[in-house]
Amino acid sequence: MSRSILITGANGALGLAIAEFFLAREESCHVFLGVRERRERAQELAERFSARTNLVTLEVTSPDDWKAAVTEIENKAAPLGVLINNAGFHEDALLANMAQDQWSRVLDANLNAVFHGCQAVLPGMMRERQGRIVNIASLSAISAPAGQTNYAAAKAGVIGLTQSLAKESARMGVTVNTVCPGYIEGGLPADWTPEHLKALKMQLPMRRFARPEEIAAAVFFLASPDASYITGSNLKIDGGLL
Amino acid sequence: MPTCQRLKELMISELMLDMTADEIGNDTPLFGPAGIGLDSVDALQLVVMIEKHFGFKMADQDQAKRILQSVNTIAEAVDQKAAA
Repeated sequence: MSRSILITGANGALGLAIAEFFLAREESCHVFLGVRERRERAQELAERFSARTNLVTLEVTSPDDWKAAVTEIENKAAPLGVLINNAGFHEDALLANMAQDQWSRVLDANLNAVFHGCQAVLPGMMRERQGRIVNIASLSAISAPAGQTNYAAAKAGVIGLTQSLAKESARMGVTVNTVCPGYIEGGLPADWTPEHLKALKMQLPMRRFARPEEIAAAVFFLASPDASYITGSNLKIDGGLL
Repeated sequence: MPTCQRLKELMISELMLDMTADEIGNDTPLFGPAGIGLDSVDALQLVVMIEKHFGFKMADQDQAKRILQSVNTIAEAVDQKAAA
């Protein structure tokens, strides 16, 4: 059956990899790439798969934007069957030095946005009595490194939201799961030096970062019919780091 | 099919209740230990189910609370709306 897939943060390495995974493996799906300002790479993908891919402007912290995006999707294509809450960013600082707005921005983008997204898509999924929500959290939710009180709290919050919502929506045919990726190629801070990256790899059991498609594969599985009894789960994908 | 019977059958299938329509009395309370034992998640599903199958949209939570008492109270609201 045809379904629409909405992926937020779709201009980044992981968002694009997830989109490509769906496009390659689910011929009947229509992918909507949620983007805000930066949209060049998503645009390029949308042009490559123009019959089955659209860009949708979405500021994930805005409930109005979510409403408009869901309406646009429902008017344009098949019912929204999958939401991948992938957008997010971190803004690190020690708590002692963290500005109030550094805390708020990170909580807004990483946790409140997931709340808005789930609230926007649930009515439609409940009507259809089927749906898949995959929330992208982070290994930071579990490892909680110094300098990431805001990000670690937000991502841990995503795991809690997921587990609670999974119980609320289980009987409605909607599953909700979280993925916690570790270090991903293309998703690392641009200012990390080659020496720093090399030293970091030495600490990883596999001595390499994840390829984005290795995370995308798990997301795709959780959104597939094969994962119909998996809900409220948190899948850590870190090459054995934790 | 009378509204009460249709409601019971829809409830059994949509709320995944392990019971038959005969086991649900028209005036049996839907919530709480003295009744069928539905919970708040079921209430939300009932609201969606009633809108989807009868085109009746609850105005607010107070109205939902009044209507979602028993099969009879729901049927009355749905039939009233259909007659209007």
